[in-house]
Amino acid sequence: MTDRIISFQERMDTAEFRVHHQAHIVVDSRVCADCSTRECVIACPANLFIPTSDGGLVFNYEQCFECGTCYIVCNREGAISWSYPEGGHGVVFRRT
Amino acid sequence: MSIVACVKWVSHPGEPHDERFAGMSMADQSALEFALQQGELLGQPVTVITVGPAGADKVLRDALACGATRAIRIEAPTTAAGTDVATAIADHIADAEWVWCGDYSLDRGAGSVPPFIAAHLGAEQALGVIAVTLLGATVHATRRLDGGRRELLEVTAPAVVSVEGATARLRRAGLQHLRSAAAATIEVMPATTPIHRAEFMVRPYRPRARELPAPTGESPLDRLRVLTDAAAASAARGETVHLAPADAAARIVHALRDWGYRDS
Amino acid sequence: MSTPDVDVIVVGAGPAGSCAAIVAARAGLDVVLLERGPFPGSKNMYGGVVYPRILDTLIPNWWEEAPIQRWVTRRSTMLLTDTQALTIDFRSEAWGEPPYNGATAFRPDWDHWLAGHAEAAGAQVLTDTTVVGLIRDPGGAVVGVRTDRPDGDLRAKVVIACDGVNSFLAKEAGLYEHTDAKHYTLGVKETLALPKEVIDERFAVRDRHGVDIEILGCTGNVNGGGFLYTGLDTLAVGVVLKLPKLAAQKKRPEEIVAGLKQHPAIAPLVQGAELKEYSAHLIPEAGLTMMPKMTMPGMLVAGDAAALCLAAGIWLEGVNFAMASGMYAGEAVVEALQANDTSATGLAGYQRRLSDTFVLKDHRKLHRAPELVLSDRVQHLYPGMVANVAERMFRVDNPHPKPGLRRILNEERKKAGVRRRDLLRDGWTGFRSFG
Ligand SMILES: Cc1cc2nc3c(=O)[nH]c(=O)nc-3n(C[C@H](O)[C@H](O)[C@H](O)COP(=O)(O)OP(=O)(O)OC[C@H]3O[C@@H](n4cnc5c(N)ncnc54)[C@H](O)[C@@H]3O)c2cc1C
Ligand code: SF4
Ligand code: SF4
Repeated sequence: MTDRIISFQERMDTAEFRVHHQAHIVVDSRVCADCSTRECVIACPANLFIPTSDGGLVFNYEQCFECGTCYIVCNREGAISWSYPEGGHGVVFRRT
Repeated sequence: MSIVACVKWVSHPGEPHDERFAGMSMADQSALEFALQQGELLGQPVTVITVGPAGADKVLRDALACGATRAIRIEAPTTAAGTDVATAIADHIADAEWVWCGDYSLDRGAGSVPPFIAAHLGAEQALGVIAVTLLGATVHATRRLDGGRRELLEVTAPAVVSVEGATARLRRAGLQHLRSAAAATIEVMPATTPIHRAEFMVRPYRPRARELPAPTGESPLDRLRVLTDAAAASAARGETVHLAPADAAARIVHALRDWGYRDS
Repeated sequence: MSTPDVDVIVVGAGPAGSCAAIVAARAGLDVVLLERGPFPGSKNMYGGVVYPRILDTLIPNWWEEAPIQRWVTRRSTMLLTDTQALTIDFRSEAWGEPPYNGATAFRPDWDHWLAGHAEAAGAQVLTDTTVVGLIRDPGGAVVGVRTDRPDGDLRAKVVIACDGVNSFLAKEAGLYEHTDAKHYTLGVKETLALPKEVIDERFAVRDRHGVDIEILGCTGNVNGGGFLYTGLDTLAVGVVLKLPKLAAQKKRPEEIVAGLKQHPAIAPLVQGAELKEYSAHLIPEAGLTMMPKMTMPGMLVAGDAAALCLAAGIWLEGVNFAMASGMYAGEAVVEALQANDTSATGLAGYQRRLSDTFVLKDHRKLHRAPELVLSDRVQHLYPGMVANVAERMFRVDNPHPKPGLRRILNEERKKAGVRRRDLLRDGWTGFRSFG
């Protein structure tokens, strides 16, 4: 018997996110446009950095663990402005 | 006590009641925000009231931190029946002019508390409102009707208004208010009438299957319109009747039976 | 200068913050504990085992009330290659009785419980409030914090920063000389549901007894380690991954966890378990190498905010170090406020306590351990070498006679491409760290 393989979206749906209407992380796609290493794409555990076919990058802040990995692995000044979401918002863990 | 907001301490649907996750629903937050805005507009204090156990003080303190001036908790278990909750609230706010509620509570809401309060107070009611304009002596409220239509109500005091979630965003409490709310007094009162346990279904609501005629129309788009277009749907079956309340109720039950929603 | 609103502000209601607040509030100080989550513990995630003996003095008989899942009575370390597993397995019945040793617990339960003690001691716990900066006097001393609430400044005689691994407060105050991606590991985990009886059977435990397994050699090209812990009716399985290495290859964190779960030694343990929650968090991994200055006028730093998490490679102890350092920070603050001196000298009692206790003693002892355990040799060469040695030791290869251990060792070392000199040196480092 093998266990069912779940999609990444199902995986993320197991965590609760109280999304605030303002993004707590902002990514400047102009800076990312000429970044070839793209550390964030592999390292973000929530898979929130998605490369586009035209070489760009889209970022969604909603299902973020607020871990800090992205701003630490990114080597480009100004690419990521990172802060915690407004108090009471963002990820809410239960059985961690 | 002329402006009152009714709030409930609830957990998310399907969750066990856990104080860490329990709080005010989005609808109750909207109701509180309108009450506070109206208080500012009319220069009147806002009272916040809840029916529940001691843990429910949390939502009252949250409301005080946001600017409510008085907080009342009527002692009752979280399982109290909606009719009893409404009676208990109405007994304590007999002189209220404006009562703001969430449209229905998250946990097992039937939306029955606001109309019951209105009945007790002999007040006007605007229920399940999706937009509110505060105009001093009156309030303009927009209701969602079947078939995508809207109803615009002009409400005057005394009135009960119940609002949907996300009609207003509750303001963020200031830090000093948050600190003083933690120490503020909450008036705890016994219920004036007996409180019963709510009887409610634990299985999810599942309407009976019923036959739908195939949509008519030449092109797929036409048929899709028939299925989804509010105007077409209601034209097919909509009917406006003018009846006395008791007859109207009987007519609705009759229609539900005809449409296959009820057995008897 | 404006007057303080309170005596002490503690930022962050994790284990460090709550213990600091308990100590300060019990001494009669006016304490506010600020937490950005909707309740203490809501933002916090870890592998799964706490070592709570440090609470013996703070909360006597803590085990009668603490929200634990299972008492750890079996502890294993596993070395994995693609097809082999070598396990060192220890069990002790004594660890299943008071005062116990380690326990599995969920952080949203544990931290919430601990913050309840801070509240009971008289501290005011304010949740849903993010601290966004420090307020400093013209001389640079910290005199309060800014929060993200309207009217959100709060002033105090002392601030204790327990704001976790990202500690923007310690960084803002300039207490970290520099930060480097290589000082951090990313932890990702899955909380999986399985019936209690199934867990008891698969892991050979009963009642509230549980298991803690640390795993080396399961993270592919990325240096790191894995873990598997038993909750009452859940399992926690996950990996910790060195950041620069993770970012430099192609496999995403959840794929590395999936690989671990498919390993022949792990798959039968987790089979059929349903994913309940996926989570992630950073770990300050580099111990003494990265530690900031612990005090400055008007402020102290404790717990992960001060990089006090003890990461001996794959063996992680952070909650106990956070609780202890929080407690010592609280004591030092009480002392400083009694003497009415919150200058660096007045707060020096904190550094002294850290140095005199296990907090810094263990860090000094295990200084080289993370580097060793996460080194390329230990990560990529030794597991295979050791597993092959074991395989050949246990293999019955008749009619060939059994080879001697020394010969096997030498052959396997050469096969793995490990130089004798490096092996001896690593052995010595390991002996000095763990011995
Ligand atoms: C994957 C992983 C596995 C681990 N395994 C173990 C283990 O098995 N055993 C063990 O003992 N340790 C383990 N650790 C380490 C342990 O989790 C930490 O060392 C410990 O949580 C540190 O406690 P703390 O109180 O210093 O910080 P945290 O627990 O991080 O608490 C910090 C608190 O501050 C709050 N906060 C942060 N910033 C702000 C702000 N600006 N305003 C308001 N509030 C703020 C946060 O919400 C949080 O509640 C592990 C860590 C990880 C990531
Ligand atoms: S965020 Fe940083 S690492 Fe990611 S694409 Fe942009 S510049 Fe590159
Ligand atoms: S903080 Fe963590 S989860 Fe959020 S975007 Fe950055 S890496 Fe992803």
